[in-house]
Amino acid sequence: MLEVKNLTKRFGSQEVLKGISLAISEGEILFVLGRSGTGKSVLLKNIVGLLKPESGQILLEGREISKLSEEEYFEVRKMCGMVFQHPALFDSLTVYENVAFGLRRHFPGMTPEEVKKRVTECLDLVHLEGVEDKLPPQISYGMQKRVSLARTIAVEPRYLLFDEPTTGLDPVTTNAINRLISELSRKLNTTSIVVSHDMHCALEIADRIAVLDQGQLIALGTPSELLKSQVPLVKDFLAEITEEDRSRWLS
Amino acid sequence: MILGERLQSKAVLWPFEYLGGELIKVSTTLSRFFDYLSEMLITLMTPPFRFKEFVTQLYLIGYKSTPVILFSISFAATATILEYAFHMKLVIQTAALVPGFAALLVFRELGPVITAFLLTSKVGAGMNAELGTMQITEQVDALKLLSVDPMRYLVVPRFVATILSSVVIVIFADATCLFFEMVMSVRHLDYSWEGFLTAMNQFTQFKDFYLGLVKAAVFGAVIPTIACFYGFNTQPGAEGVGRSTTQSVVSNAVSIIIMDFILTYLFSYLY
Repeated sequence: MLEVKNLTKRFGSQEVLKGISLAISEGEILFVLGRSGTGKSVLLKNIVGLLKPESGQILLEGREISKLSEEEYFEVRKMCGMVFQHPALFDSLTVYENVAFGLRRHFPGMTPEEVKKRVTECLDLVHLEGVEDKLPPQISYGMQKRVSLARTIAVEPRYLLFDEPTTGLDPVTTNAINRLISELSRKLNTTSIVVSHDMHCALEIADRIAVLDQGQLIALGTPSELLKSQVPLVKDFLAEITEEDRSRWLS
Repeated sequence: MILGERLQSKAVLWPFEYLGGELIKVSTTLSRFFDYLSEMLITLMTPPFRFKEFVTQLYLIGYKSTPVILFSISFAATATILEYAFHMKLVIQTAALVPGFAALLVFRELGPVITAFLLTSKVGAGMNAELGTMQITEQVDALKLLSVDPMRYLVVPRFVATILSSVVIVIFADATCLFFEMVMSVRHLDYSWEGFLTAMNQFTQFKDFYLGLVKAAVFGAVIPTIACFYGFNTQPGAEGVGRSTTQSVVSNAVSIIIMDFILTYLFSYLY
């Protein structure tokens, strides 16, 4: 279980997170929606220790992690994988080396054959074949995003964090990535937090949806609860949803 | 009237606001730099050392930079000896002191300083742009997420490899400079090969050579330290990478000149 309690984060005089509190149960998929610049990515980066909060607590399986040192965080990060907004692949390494990179660090005892087997498994899970020897710039942006996902799941994290995983992708690839997130979370039984702008996708695969506005949590609930919400921003997000889809999700 | 008074008071306050703002910026950057420097030195002195990355950097920095540096420095050496010969003939009516002065200049200044400037533009700028791009495309964050310390993985191997490369390149650069100065002396100043070496030996000592190597090591430490610092602090976008690279090259050039003065001043006590 992952809990965030009264989390506050400030950059200079600008308060980006204003006392956010959230709890995510094991195996749950939580979507975090909100306009750009409302602190969604900052929330994720605080959870994995890339940013330090000003105040508040982050409890991972009951352990307070927000005050840990960088070295202590390395242990926590073995449990948390994050897919960034950019694919963030290492340009000088091939696709194979990128996926194997974390494996070699997290499991130094693995033999080369075991590493190869795991890399192939992960690339299969994200539906990629025959790209192992290519460098990241030699494959499409959508493929790079999938390699990034494969690299993250290769180390078998119990918590998966996605920072706008479908930004900059065409609708077909967006759907494929969204399906992958759902499939992987169910197959690997991971707890997932997905930062997104895509309400349609959130209603499709999320267990619960949180909506942030100006650093505050303004709505939290299951897709069917969100569909009935009267919060103006939530209604704005729901404007693109057709009546047909709405009644399908409500039923 | 009120607007006029406001504008007047703004005009009076503007230099103070500007200076205050700049002072805060400089002190913040310096504070960040010293935090980074102390973290780097602690990481440098604690295991594990990433030997594979060190060898890769040694190849990229040392092996790949040597030809262009030796090519460029040979022209600097020949220009120097021609200038020396011209001025000495003009002032003291003889070129007898040219080999000695030229060799001294090569060992103590030309070799380490020109090598450092060329390393700054070739290696330092490249390092900065690489780390800057990694920073803005979240590759540095991805490293942290995979439990890899970017300081240990990216900075320390570059730091050690640049120091070692700089020293080795300066040894080759000194030899190249002397060779071309000798060729120039034989062809244009009527020296024989032996005559050049004898005249050079009268003026130079072994410590001129190794103090030049000390300078090379210090410059080799300065270049990656500054380049990586600006790389990690790169702001998003092509403009951010460009600005960071410019800042890194300028800061390196200024630091090398200042360090050169400090070291030359300190070494003057050894003579």
